[in-house]
Amino acid sequence: MTLMSFVYGFLAILGAFVFQTSLTGINRKVTARLQKRRGPKWYQQFIDIFKAFSKSSITHGWVYDFGAIMALGGIAATVIFIPVAGFQSFPGLDNIFVISYVLAVGMLGMAMSAAGSGNPWASIGVSRALTNMLAYDIPFMVIVFTLIYQHQTGSVSELAALQQGAGIWGWNAFQLPLGGLVAVIALFGMLGKKPFDSFIAPAEIASGPMVEYGGKQLGMMFTLHELMTFIEVSLILNLFFGGGETLWVYLLKYAVLYTFTNIVSGVMPRFKIDQAVTFFYKVPLGLALVQGLLVIFGGWGY
Amino acid sequence: MMTMIILFMIASILFAYVLSLKEPKWGAYATLIVSLAGLVGVSLLRGSVGETVSFYYLHFTVTTIGWYFSMILLTVYFTATFFHPFWMDQLIYPAAYNALFLLSLAGTVGLFFAQDLMTLFICWETAVWSSMLIVQQGKSRQAAWVYFVMSAIGSMATLFAILLTIFMSGTTMITDAFIYFMGSPALGGLVFGAFILSGLTKMGIFPFHVWLPLAHGSAPHTFSPVLSGGLVKMGAYIAYLSVAVFPAYQVFGDQLMLQGVPLPIYALMLLGGVSIVYGTLRAIQQDDAKRLLAYSSVANGGYILIGILMLDQMAFAGGLMHVLNHAVASAAAFLAMAAVAKRTGTTKMSELGGMIHRMPVTYVVYLIAIISMAGIPPMGGFVSKWLIFQGLSHRGLIFLATAAAFGSIGSYLYVFRPLSAVFLGQLAPKYEKIKEADPLMLIGMLLLTAMSLLLGIVPNVVLRTIAQIQIELGIDPIMIKGTITATQNGSVNMLSVFTVFGFGFLLILILFLVLPKSRRVGLMDTYTSAEFIHTPELLHYGHHFYAPFERLYEKWPSVLPLYQRLSLKLKEMGEWAETFFFHAEPNRAVFWMVLLVILITVGGAR
Repeated sequence: MTLMSFVYGFLAILGAFVFQTSLTGINRKVTARLQKRRGPKWYQQFIDIFKAFSKSSITHGWVYDFGAIMALGGIAATVIFIPVAGFQSFPGLDNIFVISYVLAVGMLGMAMSAAGSGNPWASIGVSRALTNMLAYDIPFMVIVFTLIYQHQTGSVSELAALQQGAGIWGWNAFQLPLGGLVAVIALFGMLGKKPFDSFIAPAEIASGPMVEYGGKQLGMMFTLHELMTFIEVSLILNLFFGGGETLWVYLLKYAVLYTFTNIVSGVMPRFKIDQAVTFFYKVPLGLALVQGLLVIFGGWGY
Repeated sequence: MMTMIILFMIASILFAYVLSLKEPKWGAYATLIVSLAGLVGVSLLRGSVGETVSFYYLHFTVTTIGWYFSMILLTVYFTATFFHPFWMDQLIYPAAYNALFLLSLAGTVGLFFAQDLMTLFICWETAVWSSMLIVQQGKSRQAAWVYFVMSAIGSMATLFAILLTIFMSGTTMITDAFIYFMGSPALGGLVFGAFILSGLTKMGIFPFHVWLPLAHGSAPHTFSPVLSGGLVKMGAYIAYLSVAVFPAYQVFGDQLMLQGVPLPIYALMLLGGVSIVYGTLRAIQQDDAKRLLAYSSVANGGYILIGILMLDQMAFAGGLMHVLNHAVASAAAFLAMAAVAKRTGTTKMSELGGMIHRMPVTYVVYLIAIISMAGIPPMGGFVSKWLIFQGLSHRGLIFLATAAAFGSIGSYLYVFRPLSAVFLGQLAPKYEKIKEADPLMLIGMLLLTAMSLLLGIVPNVVLRTIAQIQIELGIDPIMIKGTITATQNGSVNMLSVFTVFGFGFLLILILFLVLPKSRRVGLMDTYTSAEFIHTPELLHYGHHFYAPFERLYEKWPSVLPLYQRLSLKLKEMGEWAETFFFHAEPNRAVFWMVLLVILITVGGAR
């Protein structure tokens, strides 16, 4: 741990933010084309965030602010843990459980801040978000357990490196096709893309966690969303699509994966939250368990 | 040293009783000083592992594991005593409470240092009986009965196992006696099953969990932390004895192996997995914060049981560390709730709200406790859960891993609920005037908070002791290098994680301070879809927090009716048996008396 590590960490956060926010902007255009609109400029997302930062804002007490800082701080720290094309600012901190649980600090902070606003709609939104998390995370975790059992390592960068060198057939998404499918479905849940967007959907803005936010707090929540997207897509990319040998390959794969979720999301209807839970526990969890049993008892993938 | 501690404990019980009779508050302070002295005394025993002491029929010895467990229990007891002075006026028998509190402490510490099986059993029963009598002083007598009956089932089974062991092996010393079963799988299986039963009932493993929510929910507020953080951990020690000291893996060596785990042990682990899922689902449903935390203890008991039964490098270390982490976190959460209950008189989440604006320190205590309980870094709970996860995925125990993952994510749901419904949200006008908890109470709670944080940042302090225990058992110890904790399939450096997290927080704090300052508005000043609502209670979301999710399983069967039917049948059977001896007409009683006299006469003649 040297001073340079912190500098690289800072650059990683900045880079992730710029890249993902541009990509979001481009994808707003993609969605618009799907709906036969022209769509906003590709840098519209930056404008939205910086406009929010510059506006006057209100606060509902110290926990409302503290929660927002804890949320964005936790998520920013998680970005530092993510290995990008094999590069890590702090080597050795990329254990999969560490990443998925540091991510939870950010979620808890956001939930705390939203509930601290005193608006019941925000609390209802948080309860939906947490329920959604309970739904998508279990199948995903089962697949993660399977991967760790198969490769005997919990390090994300090592798991990514193990898939490289054998073309796309080396990717876990093809080596363990059921697991890859589950991971992609779970990614939709993580990102809050349709059909699992009931907690964060634009139509729910007045009855979701975001209801009380405005000004700089809203800007922070937008930033948080971009960074969180970066973490989640990167996680799936590293675990199932071989990460990237070079930065450009990594970013290209990333853009394809994210745009794919966005396009699928554009043509999907929306689940109610209890429907999402039932779906995740029926289909992806079943597939994940079948994949796990095939690997552990059937020797698949050896 | 050991002798002094034991004599001191016994003397202090009498002293606390007499003092409390005179002035309950002094007695309460006496419990504080006595438990602190016990804590210091036992911590000095670290160097004298192997020392033995005998009192007539009772034999004690200092072991590393015994020291570890005693330290955990004493910490929990010690911090709970900070609350005692404020609760004396709410108890019916304060003197008995103080004396029994110390008696249960002495019983548990004795249990962990017991060298022979009879001492083990006597200390066990001392702790169970004294705690049962304390639970009875709470809200419900029935809760104490259920607690006692469930404990009795376990105790009797264990007594049977102990007597059988002593009879077969001819010795009472725990380590020597258990070795006898190495060569006899059938008998060994029986003893293992009967012996571990008391551990299962104590930890509240499914289906023996029914007493936990009842007893934890209705015990005096000051004793619930001790029940959940301390006494439940006695069960973990029994589980440890029955798998590590009792040669369980060798006894079941010829059984069907599942990923290297014999079937009977795997079945017990599955019970642990069921406890995790069941405890989580039920905790999500509760409205009473103490019952919610009690169900979370059921779930965490499952983690501890699975971890200890694995007896390997990772999950075993995780299980043992989770005993400490959960004890600290759970005690802190219960104490925070006790502080809220002291000020407001209720622990029902739907009746509270907005406490953060009146009790900010209590809020922070609860927040840190739940972060640890949910296993989120940088708190202690993360490290132990991480070790259990690594162990489960290393062995490929996929169903247990699924249950563990469910319990882990599910815990976000149930720990967040009291945070939101009790501390955040709208502050009801009737609580407008309440004050922060008393400074003495805050000291007790903050000690636990500091421990949770410290355990998360430098877990190796504790893992060093656990590695020592693993070396003594002859299994691969957990690897420790500086601040790095390493296993066969992964490593983590918690100090770096904490530093990076702090770095991220600092960056965002700077960003926040640079941006324009926000205007402070009231809690009622919120967006309400053009409704005009002027009562804060109506703007507070506390009922059925996870309604859509709860609806999915609200109709699932409960084991409670089964127990009720069983107890009814038992009562009927008792009444039926009673009619043999006692009846309105004196004939039967006279018959039995005559028979007894004849038997005594005949027997005496021989």
